[in-house]
Amino acid sequence: MNKLSLEERVALRDSVHQLLTNECDESAVRTTMETTSGFDPVLWNKLAEMGIVGLIINEDQGGAGVGPIELETVMEEVGAALLCSPLLASGVLAAELLNALQNDDVSSQLLPAIADGSCIATAALTGQSGCWTEGGVTVSAKGNTNEWLLSGSASYVLHGQNANVLLVAASTSDGLSMFVVEAEADGLSISGLPTFDHTLRLAEISFDKVAAERITTQRPVWDAVIQALDITLVALAGEQAGAAEHCLAATVDYAKTRIQFGRAIGSFQAIKHMAADLLLETESSISAARHAAACLADGTDDATEAVSLAAFACADTFVSTAATSVQMYGGIAFTWEHPAHLYLRRARADAQLFGSSSFYRERFIQQLEA
Amino acid sequence: MDTNNKIADEELRAQVRSWLGENWTQAKAASLKQHQPLWGASDELKSWLAEVVSARWAAPRWPTEWFGRDLSNKQAKIIEAEFAAVRAPGTGQDRTNLWANTLLAGGTEVLKSKLIGPLLQGEVNMCLLYSEPNAGSDLAGIRTRADRQEDHYVVNGQKVWTSGAMTADYGMLIARTDWDVPKHQGISYFYCPMKQEGIEVRPLRQITNESQFNEVFITDALIPAENLLGNFNQGWQMLQTALAYERLIMGEGARGPRSGGNKKAKNVEVLIALAREAGVLEQPKLRQDIAQMIAYKKLNALNGARGKADISQGASSSLMSLGKLAMSRILHEEARLRTEILGPGSLFEGSDYSDAENANFLTFQAYLTSIGGGTDQIQRNIIGERVLGLPKEPEVDKKIPFREVRAS
Ligand SMILES: Cc1cc2nc3c(=O)[nH]c(=O)nc-3n(C[C@H](O)[C@H](O)[C@H](O)COP(=O)(O)OP(=O)(O)OC[C@H]3O[C@@H](n4cnc5c(N)ncnc54)[C@H](O)[C@@H]3O)c2cc1C
Repeated sequence: MNKLSLEERVALRDSVHQLLTNECDESAVRTTMETTSGFDPVLWNKLAEMGIVGLIINEDQGGAGVGPIELETVMEEVGAALLCSPLLASGVLAAELLNALQNDDVSSQLLPAIADGSCIATAALTGQSGCWTEGGVTVSAKGNTNEWLLSGSASYVLHGQNANVLLVAASTSDGLSMFVVEAEADGLSISGLPTFDHTLRLAEISFDKVAAERITTQRPVWDAVIQALDITLVALAGEQAGAAEHCLAATVDYAKTRIQFGRAIGSFQAIKHMAADLLLETESSISAARHAAACLADGTDDATEAVSLAAFACADTFVSTAATSVQMYGGIAFTWEHPAHLYLRRARADAQLFGSSSFYRERFIQQLEA
Repeated sequence: MDTNNKIADEELRAQVRSWLGENWTQAKAASLKQHQPLWGASDELKSWLAEVVSARWAAPRWPTEWFGRDLSNKQAKIIEAEFAAVRAPGTGQDRTNLWANTLLAGGTEVLKSKLIGPLLQGEVNMCLLYSEPNAGSDLAGIRTRADRQEDHYVVNGQKVWTSGAMTADYGMLIARTDWDVPKHQGISYFYCPMKQEGIEVRPLRQITNESQFNEVFITDALIPAENLLGNFNQGWQMLQTALAYERLIMGEGARGPRSGGNKKAKNVEVLIALAREAGVLEQPKLRQDIAQMIAYKKLNALNGARGKADISQGASSSLMSLGKLAMSRILHEEARLRTEILGPGSLFEGSDYSDAENANFLTFQAYLTSIGGGTDQIQRNIIGERVLGLPKEPEVDKKIPFREVRAS
C-alpha cells in the first residue's frame, strides 16, 4: 500500500471537491436520488477515471493502491456533497473483501473491472436481522469443489439492485465461506428496498439454489469480512464527519445573515451555544475518523478500538448536527426544498448501515477491557 | 339547584352522564372514529359537535350568552372527565379552541354572533396568518399592511408557513396598521376572510413529504371593519392572548404517527410495546431511556393538571409556559427511541414498513412543536423573562419607529 504525501493528499481532496462541486451540487443530488438506480453513471465514470473508485485496489489490479488515509480524505468530500453512488459498496466494501480474501485468481478476475467502474460489486453479509456478526448470515451453500448452490436470503445489501456481481457470505458444512454470484444468475431475486434516505440504495436478495463460485482462501472468512467492514466503517466515518462539518458550516453561514429582532440570529447566545457545541462534536468526529484511518493504515494494535470509536462518534455527531441544524434554521428547514432534511435523512441512514452506535460502543469497551 | 342558582357537583355529574348515555351512542362513536380527516372536521363530527353545543357542554366555563354555563373550572373538569371516560369529543373548548377563545376575548359583537357558534361546531376552517419570510421569531417585525378604507381594511403582503391555509375560511391575521410608531405598537389583529380574490395560497412541500403549510400572497384583500379583534394598533396584546392558547394546546399533545400505528399498544405505552416486539425491552440502557421518556410524559401531564387548577380562562400560569417546551423534548425523544428500538429496521419508508414510517415521520414532525408556535429558544426566553423575571435582553429596534427598522 502506498501512502500519499500531505501535498498529494491535499491535491486529491481538491480535485474530488472540484468534481463534486461541478457535477454533484444539490440539484444534481435531488435529481439522482429520485432515479431508479440512484446514481449518475456519467459521474460514476468520472470518479473511476480519477481513480476514486479503485482507490484502495492495488496498482497491479488497475487501482490507485493507496489506503484508508486517502480513502477517508475523499469520503469527507463525498459526505459534504451527499454523493449518491455505489462507491462504498463496490470500491470499498467489495474491493477490500477481495483484498482480504487474498485469492489471486478471483481478485484479478474482478478487481480491475471494479476499479474502472465497469463492474459494480457489493457484498451480502447479513440477513433480516441486520446484525453484522457471523451469526447474522442467513444464506447457506451446498456443493463440492466444482459446483456450489446457494439458498436463503440476505438483506441490507448496499446497492444490491445495481450490482453486476455479489460477494455472498454463506454457511457450509465446514464453516463460513465467501462466494461470487453473477447478478443474472438463475434463482436469484434482487428487490430494492424503499429507504427513507432517497440517496441510499439497499436491496433484499433471495437465493433459490443459485450457482456460485466459492472463493478459496487461507484466512478465516469472517476475519476477512471484519477487515473489509473496518475500512468501510472508516470510509463511512469520513463521510459522516465531512457531512456534519458541512452541515454546521452552512448553518453558521445562515446564522450570520438571518436577521430577527434587528440582529443576526447568530448573535443570540442560544444559537451561538448550539453552534459551539456542534463544533466540538464535528471537530471530534473528524479527529476520530482520521485517527481510525491512520491506525488502520499502520495496522496498529489499537486499530479496532479506533475504528469502533470513529463508528459511533461520527454516526452520532452527524445525526445530532443535522438534527440541531434544522432547529437552528427554523421554519425554512421544515421544507422539502431546503437541503437540511437531505442531510438528516442521510445521517439517520448512515447511523444504521453497518450496525448501530450501541453495537460499536460495546465493541469499543470490549477492546478496552481486553 | 341550590338557592344561588349553582348546581351541585354530583347533580352535574349525573346530568352529563345521562346526557351522554342517551346521545353518545356506539354507532356515533364508531362512525366518528371511522371518519377522521387530517384537516378540518368530518360531517359526522360536525353533527355531533352541534349536539354538544346546543346542550351547552362545549364551553361550560363560558357565559350563558355564548353557549356556556358560567361554571367554575372545577365543575367544567367534571364535565371533561365524563366526556373523556366515554371518549366523546367536543367539550373543554373553552380551553382548547384557539379560534373561538381568541374571538371571544377580543371580537366585536357582530363577529362573535356570526362565528362563535360555527367555530364550536367545527363548521369553520381556520388558519394562522402570523409568520412572514422576514418575521418568524420576531413577529413584531411583520410587514404585511392593512389600511382602513371606509368600512373595511385593505390588506397587502405575504405570509408563510401558514398551516391549513388551503381549506381555511378565515385566517387570524396580524398586519401593520401604523408605520410611524415602534414595532409592537402599530400592529392590529383581524379575522381575515380567506375565500376571496386577493388571497392566493401556494402549498409548500414539507420535510415529511406532506403539504399542510403554505405561502399566502395577499393583494388588496378586503376585511370588514367589524373583523378587527382587540383595539386598533393593539394587535400585539391580542396576539399574546392567542399565542398563550396555542402554546397551551401544543404543550398538551401533538399529532400521532401518520399510519395510525398505535394499534399494537393496547393498554401499554407504545414504546414498551415496540421494544417488547423487537425483543429489546430488557436491554438496560434502552429500558432506562424508555422509563425516562415515559416519565417526561407523565410529569408534563401532572404539570398540566396542576396548572389548570390555578387558572380559570386561558390566563397563562407559569406551569403552562413549560408545557410546550416539555412536549418538544418528549416528541424528539420519543422519535429517537422509536428509531433506536427499530435499529436498521428504521431505514425504510412506506406502508409496508409502518413502524419505520412512524419513527421517521415523528422525527420530522417533532419540529412542528419545537419550531412552530414559537421556537424552543423563544419559549426559553419567555420563561426566563416573563416567568422567572430575569432581565430582558436589550432589543435594538424596540423603541424606534418601525419605518427605520433593519430587515434581513
Ligand atoms: C410545521 C410548522 C407549521 C407552522 N405553522 C404556522 C402557521 O400556521 N402560521 C404561522 O403564522 N406560522 C407557522 N409556522 C411558523 C413558525 O411559527 C415559525 O417558523 C417560528 O416562529 C420561527 O420563525 P422562523 O422560521 O422565521 O425562524 P427564525 O425566527 O428565523 O429563527 C431561526 C433560529 O433563530 C432562533 N432565534 C430567533 N430569535 C431568537 C432569540 N431572540 N433568541 C434566541 N434564539 C432566537 C430560533 O430559535 C431559530 O433557531 C409554522 C412552522 C412550522 C415548522
